[in-house]
Amino acid sequence: MMATTTSTHQPPALSFPRPIFAAVSPHPFLQAHLTAPNARKAPQRANGRTAQEFRTPGINTGSLTHCNGSAVVRLGNTSVVCGARAEILADVDAAAAANGAIAGADEQDPDEEREEIESLRLLVPNVELSTGSTPQHIPGNAPSSFAQTLITRIRSLLLSTHLLRASDLRILYTPPSSPDEPDEATAAELKGYWVLYIDIFYISIDGNAFDAAWLGLLAALQKTLIPHAFWDEDLETILCSDDPSDAHSLSLRGLPIPSTFAVFEGKRDWDECSEDDETDWMLSDPDAFEESVCRESVCVVVDCSAGKKGAKDGILRRVEKSGGGVVDREGMRGLVRRAVERWGVVEAVFSGKT
Amino acid sequence: MAPEAILSHLHRADGSATYTHNGYCVIGAVNGPIEVQRRDEMPEEATVEVNVRPAVGVGSPKERHLETLLHNTLRSIILTRSIPRTLVQITLQVRSLPEEEISTGVNTTLTLLPHILHTALLALLSASIPLSTVLTSTLIAIPSAPNARPATPLVSPTAPELLRAKPIRSVHVFAFAGDGRMLLNESDGVFSFEEWDEAAEAAEEVCCKEEGGVGLGEGVDVDGKEGTNLEIWLREVVKRKVELEQRWKSAR
Repeated sequence: MMATTTSTHQPPALSFPRPIFAAVSPHPFLQAHLTAPNARKAPQRANGRTAQEFRTPGINTGSLTHCNGSAVVRLGNTSVVCGARAEILADVDAAAAANGAIAGADEQDPDEEREEIESLRLLVPNVELSTGSTPQHIPGNAPSSFAQTLITRIRSLLLSTHLLRASDLRILYTPPSSPDEPDEATAAELKGYWVLYIDIFYISIDGNAFDAAWLGLLAALQKTLIPHAFWDEDLETILCSDDPSDAHSLSLRGLPIPSTFAVFEGKRDWDECSEDDETDWMLSDPDAFEESVCRESVCVVVDCSAGKKGAKDGILRRVEKSGGGVVDREGMRGLVRRAVERWGVVEAVFSGKT
Repeated sequence: MAPEAILSHLHRADGSATYTHNGYCVIGAVNGPIEVQRRDEMPEEATVEVNVRPAVGVGSPKERHLETLLHNTLRSIILTRSIPRTLVQITLQVRSLPEEEISTGVNTTLTLLPHILHTALLALLSASIPLSTVLTSTLIAIPSAPNARPATPLVSPTAPELLRAKPIRSVHVFAFAGDGRMLLNESDGVFSFEEWDEAAEAAEEVCCKEEGGVGLGEGVDVDGKEGTNLEIWLREVVKRKVELEQRWKSAR
């Protein structure tokens, strides 16, 4: 692999070995890769993938013993551990309890559920970067703005996709019917809530931190088991059953999958000899090197679990784009198509595991 | 209603602006180009630092997210390569929010984002930081339709309008550069690509359509200035700023 300038069959050339070229001038390095003159095969990125190629996620669930649900997700060299832990919120204030009493009915408007979950903060995602996970991360400091941005994005996506049902998190108590009117059913009372603490821990980050975190979170929540909690009238407290067969899993709504793209803007003056006008590339699932070179990034979250995939169907859950002006409306159409394709691949990985 | 803007009213900062629109009021201050900390110095370009202070309390992860979005967007329009090894510091203080903001059920980051982008741009203009282009931004909300017919999108709605149109199905924030490129997009909710495309078109019209576009006022404008889009508004603001700066010339 060592390409030295003193190789036997070549005169000493004024060229750098690959890693030095990448470190000294990353932008031309990536552009040279993407505009490979080799017509026989498609140009590849520095990591050996084509511009449209994602990394296939590896998902391993149930790895942590002390969590209600956990998953380890690998996306190339990005690896994430996600653990969800449920704790009881017993002191529900009167307003929330009243709200819950109305919500005694089974089916409820998702937006109302979202307000219930949001106002009581029943979902607490947190992101932690381990020492050495990425060179940019300096250990011992307060959470960086990178980590805080990730937390905000994860939290708002969790809420806006209505992924969790409030009914899964409520702890209800149905008082026994009075002996006078044994036929009349009594209304369930709200006694508490389950709060889910979702911790996302990066072992290493090689780009695309958000997708990896979200996949980890989804896999962990799919496997989360919440113990059966009930109100004990005599003790006047919430007790949990320790029988695993009583525990229930969360019924998630849909399967929203994010796809992140980095937009690489080629320098036109640097490469004037190329005739074709293609000087911008949308790189799927960028790694850390590509993220450091690309400024514009697009994240598209789709959920095709309803079965339809057309442009008219409400499959999009979120679009985030910032940092530049290369992707226009037409460009976004292509990215949405690629995100839908990606959804199929990830869904297959999920269903293979579950 | 077109937004109101006051430029260069803080005397200690290199550039400042106060922006008021639809009940949102944001003060922005820009210092730059100034000396940069050694750790943040970049050899070939300027460092951009954005600080967002909320209306109430101290900054939370939500503000960090806004800062990241602003940083990414502003870095692409500031000519950072023409002022290398310096710092451009942008501080934005949210002064007031509409009362109904909390109860609209819409992600509050998104409703604030267009206003805060405008404030940052005006403050940058006031500080005469070299920019490659300007930007205009707007919010589009698509209410959920009760029947099968598609709902008409609300363009740059006020908080009471959002409250009345509840439940909102999807919210979109778009920012466009002066040459019409889409600089930023944040969309949230449940929507199809066609709805997104329509929202993008509506936003483009409000932000930077040449002539005959749907104005911000849409008939309810009290000033009688109908048909003005945000880019024309921005030009007016800059014109007033230049007039003010040239008054030494025109004075008799």
